[in-house]
Amino acid sequence: MRSTLSPYQAFWQGSMAVIPLSLACAPWGLLVGSLAIDAQMTPLESQGFSAIVFAGAAQIVAIGMIKTGASLSSILVTTLLLTSQHLLYGLHMRATLSSLSSRWRIGLGFLLTDEFFALNSQYDQKTFSRWFALGVGLSFYLAWNVFTLAGILLGKSIPNLESLGLEFSIAATFIALVTPVVKSVPTIGCVFVSLACSVLFSYLRWESALVVSGLAGMTAGFVCKRLLEGRS
Amino acid sequence: MILAVIAGMGAIVFLNRYLFLEPRLPFRLSQGTRDFLSFAVPGMLTAICGPIIFMPGHTLSLSALNPYLLGGLCTVGLMLWTGRVLTSVLVSMGCFYLFRSIF
Repeated sequence: MRSTLSPYQAFWQGSMAVIPLSLACAPWGLLVGSLAIDAQMTPLESQGFSAIVFAGAAQIVAIGMIKTGASLSSILVTTLLLTSQHLLYGLHMRATLSSLSSRWRIGLGFLLTDEFFALNSQYDQKTFSRWFALGVGLSFYLAWNVFTLAGILLGKSIPNLESLGLEFSIAATFIALVTPVVKSVPTIGCVFVSLACSVLFSYLRWESALVVSGLAGMTAGFVCKRLLEGRS
Repeated sequence: MILAVIAGMGAIVFLNRYLFLEPRLPFRLSQGTRDFLSFAVPGMLTAICGPIIFMPGHTLSLSALNPYLLGGLCTVGLMLWTGRVLTSVLVSMGCFYLFRSIF
């Protein structure tokens, strides 16, 4: 159906479709901007961070790690693990995106966020519209950078930003994304182990608490799945 | 240091996103790797939530009246009930601020 739309119409539809998700990331964008300033990054570096990396969770975690004096290599390993779900998104979208020209493929590849995946993954080669996808991706990219800019500008003028409890919106968003995924015994095991480890290791102030807890949870889920498969 | 972090993270995130879109890549992920990666979303996202909920202000809070915990439970409940991400997040944020002002 969408193949009958003009490129402009499809682009517009995509931009409209992503608006709710763009608004949901507003607190994060504000948080990234203000936390970056708080971590002694210059305004230009802070904006460049969002413009070049464009990965909310990884950015927030990296800023936290910069503040605690983590090494470059540990930040990069954490980023690799934290954004590894994109490998799966890429694998899933390979059917529709890999046949595009290199310009489109690289452009849409750069814009392949959780939100982009959520709105584009259900289409096959016939129903997929690259202009719709571009609308989704570019609008979200623009929103992310505008909210980051707002965070940079407001960061210093909001006293005690951390005590406002804005970070709850991060937890709420992730919980909302994880809840529908938890449908089997292995995922329950994964979530439980990951949760318990993350609290314990953070309490012990391990620098690599997040990576280790995430891997522990993933391993628990994987082992649990294998055990159940072996039994049946 | 900051510039190296930005450049390095940018490269890694883009590589993660683009790798499997490259048509010239002759790849075959083993079933085991795929199964392991399939737990990345619940595993990693939960690991981020844990400290936010149970260690607000970097101090351990295992109380049942912890507003972050109550708010998080609201999110789970709302998500199971409505299945809508944005609605669940916004309403549970309201609940969170309500709990925080009460307790």
